[in-house]
Amino acid sequence: MKKCDQYIQGIADYIDGEADAALCAELEAHLKGCQNCRIMVDTLRQTVVLCRDGKREKLPEKIQAKLKDKLKEKWQKKFNK
Amino acid sequence: MKEKALIKSAKAGNFEAFNDLVAGHTDRIYRLALKITGNTDDSEDIVQNTFLKAIDKIDQFREDASFGTWVYAIALNEIRRCLSHRNSFKVKSIDEYLPNSHSDSTIELFDWGDPHKYMKQREIREIIDSSLENMSEKYSIPFILRYMEQLSIKEIAETLDLSEAAVKSRILRTRLALREKLSKIFRERKYEKM
Repeated sequence: MKKCDQYIQGIADYIDGEADAALCAELEAHLKGCQNCRIMVDTLRQTVVLCRDGKREKLPEKIQAKLKDKLKEKWQKKFNK
Repeated sequence: MKEKALIKSAKAGNFEAFNDLVAGHTDRIYRLALKITGNTDDSEDIVQNTFLKAIDKIDQFREDASFGTWVYAIALNEIRRCLSHRNSFKVKSIDEYLPNSHSDSTIELFDWGDPHKYMKQREIREIIDSSLENMSEKYSIPFILRYMEQLSIKEIAETLDLSEAAVKSRILRTRLALREKLSKIFRERKYEKM
């Protein structure tokens, strides 16, 4: 019988929807009898959800404009335009 | 215009085509740099240096490759260069975060339930961001690319020049480390409130 630690990569694949049918069935059978692995599934899933929630930073507009000028200058030097 | 056509046009010297390619990646590279360095000025410099280098190397770019993967690889070198100039950058061992074997039935893992019972999302994000900044970029970069920028394992492996198995292993260790860190804090908050 596998130890819980040996399911860890499988649990991550399962949460991300990347586990095949055989692994899903094996994990689901194990999860029925293992409280710690059920908590691991839930908390690893929530870890990613919590990382994704929140502000998605953007390069400030002023810097975008400055960047375009710098790139254009370099481009003109390179291509002699 | 599609990416391949833009690349062809840029390689022929069309700046606007190059600029269109750049526009699709500036925010992603900025966010990646910000997550790892934690510094807006450094991150702005990293974005600028990445695309200046891309101009230098545009002739070497293979048209069958992905422009995104190629500029990410340049950006990661710029990020590493930036970190190497920092004497005070503290890198914690990933093992500091990893749990003991959860197969030991005497150890009961902490069941979070709803984590927002313990703290607001803004505070949780601060903890996550600071943990990623303090972690070795060997672990933080694959995790950020996968879950925050939603690249596939294959794309990350190509960008970092690693096997897919190595990428998956690093991502998992980072995920476990963050889980462990959050678990510890949520548990403390729970008992503070009791």
